[in-house]
Amino acid sequence: MLQAPTAVPAPQPAKPKPPQPPTQFQEGDIARMDAAALVGILRDPSASEFQKAKACVRAGELGAREAVPALGALLGDEHLGTYARYGLEPITDPSASDALLAALPRLNGDRLIGVIHSIGKRRDTRAIPQLVKLMLGTDADLSAAATAALGSIAGPVSARELTAALAGTKGPTRMAVAHASLVCAERLLTDGKRDEALALYTTLTAPDVPKPVRLAAMNGIIREETSVGRSR
Amino acid sequence: MITRRKLLTTAAAPLIVPSTVLGQRAGAVAPSDRITFGGIGIGARGAHVLSKLLNVKEARFIAICDVRNERRETIKSTVDKQYGNRDCQMYDDQYALLARQDIDAVLIATGDRWHTPLSIIAAQHGKDVYCEKPCSMSIEESWALADAFRRYGRLYQAGCQRRNGANFMLCKELLRSGALGKLKTLYANVGPSVNWPPLPSRDWLAAEPLPPRQVLDWDRWLGPAPWRPYHSSYVSGGWRNFHDFHGGGILEWGSHTVDLCHWAADLDDTQPVEYEPVGSNVGPYQVNCRYADGVRLVMRDNGWEGALNTGSCSFRIEGDRGWVETGDQTRIECSDNIRPLLRPTESARLALENHVKEMVQCVATRRTPSANAAAAANSHVTCHAAFIAYQRGKTLAWDTAKAQFTNDDIANRMRSRALREPWRI
Repeated sequence: MLQAPTAVPAPQPAKPKPPQPPTQFQEGDIARMDAAALVGILRDPSASEFQKAKACVRAGELGAREAVPALGALLGDEHLGTYARYGLEPITDPSASDALLAALPRLNGDRLIGVIHSIGKRRDTRAIPQLVKLMLGTDADLSAAATAALGSIAGPVSARELTAALAGTKGPTRMAVAHASLVCAERLLTDGKRDEALALYTTLTAPDVPKPVRLAAMNGIIREETSVGRSR
Repeated sequence: MITRRKLLTTAAAPLIVPSTVLGQRAGAVAPSDRITFGGIGIGARGAHVLSKLLNVKEARFIAICDVRNERRETIKSTVDKQYGNRDCQMYDDQYALLARQDIDAVLIATGDRWHTPLSIIAAQHGKDVYCEKPCSMSIEESWALADAFRRYGRLYQAGCQRRNGANFMLCKELLRSGALGKLKTLYANVGPSVNWPPLPSRDWLAAEPLPPRQVLDWDRWLGPAPWRPYHSSYVSGGWRNFHDFHGGGILEWGSHTVDLCHWAADLDDTQPVEYEPVGSNVGPYQVNCRYADGVRLVMRDNGWEGALNTGSCSFRIEGDRGWVETGDQTRIECSDNIRPLLRPTESARLALENHVKEMVQCVATRRTPSANAAAAANSHVTCHAAFIAYQRGKTLAWDTAKAQFTNDDIANRMRSRALREPWRI
């Protein structure tokens, strides 16, 4: 970086001194470690929860695929699960998706929900069959998460499953399906699947679809049909 | 089921019947015509915004949600006193508040980490949103926010109230009129690094015993931020300057001043293509940015009162024929040739009142607010990109079409954050 210009800030209003982090909670050298050192922390049973949390995030920033196994092993941890996902989500190597997919059958509760979110973010189509099962399952929170992930993954298979679910579910599940279908339709448009997107939007204009979604679908149709770039 | 053809061929403008035709006294607002608001996470800043909303006769505030019972009670007391009743309902669960069909819009003034997820949830529930800045914690969140409000056709007003400040509007007018000539450089004061350094801390404070859940629900307070042990300082406002809760100094004021630069220069739909960080985390710093057409944006630490003592959140516009600079003290400094064009403006202090009124009017008329989600997304992406460049310590190039950096993979991986389960955007 270049040298800063020499500006003189005006005097600041007085503020009470804030509490300082104790030594054991200071990121310090972890911020500058390479992937091998970060993996060392993640695998070290004597490393603290704080150290592992910081190592997870930094490993993700580095895109360290060698950290994937260690990150995957932390997905079920009550506190570190989020940090493990923080690390896995940005790693483009396919092994990160493998680790998330492998975690689906062994987790439950909020940890499982978190992994489902990360799978949706990475748009892993291999997860669709398991996500459909969860969408149609009895756990409302898991169902909502899986449904949202299907919307995010989008593509023709997700669109087909969401359309079927829209006809076959009710209550909160159907509400979640409707919202996810909107996202799916948008992504189909972005992926160049215009006809499939408009068909999905049309399905969402049925009178028994929740009103916010119905209006959004109508908006989506109008927006797409009146867009400058549409084929004529 | 409505077909696409039917939808496109039968759309018509709604018939509007003035209320005076129906016998209502001119100037009065029928209860059924009032825009009803709920509030989520109304702390000190939110209470200030609320105080303006409570004075808008076309609006009514009817519900408050907060994880802290003390804040729920305080806001209810304030609202009930204003209206002379006990009607304000309290909630500790935002879904219960958002489920109310009689609430048109919500005022969100939680900590920054909640702004995007809550705004999106509110839009999904059919609510319009006034949300305090900064509007997002990452580039990914910024786009998700804009996408959601476009998707659901809901209105969004970011708490970037200076867009409704008369002195700021005059500076914009001087640029648009050509008085300043061709735009060359915009300057955004991103605030004193001694208060908000550009790089927030990734450390944790020491653990303190958790308070009883009915006093503070720490899990709910954390929300989408990754877990860390409880410390009372976070809850009493000390969350700023911690990376998990705060986007750093650039975003703290940049969400105002970069936003002003974009608004004044009609750049609400784009971001710079280059970000060059200058300086260290201690002391004055800046980020030099450049748009595709060559216009420069300089985000700089000019201290609290700005380089020319025009007040906090100052911004400056330089054209090839003149310049202007103004801030929260209302006064406009300018080049000599511009001075004859200045006129007295109302105080910058009225900006918030105007901004809140604009929101209420927009909810009623469905006009897009000035600080809408798309505009907020672009100004915030700009701030986040600058923040990432500062963290990387190098000049970054940005592709506006692909929404990614072209010369740094690590920077691209920093475009998003994982949200703590069960929250998502």
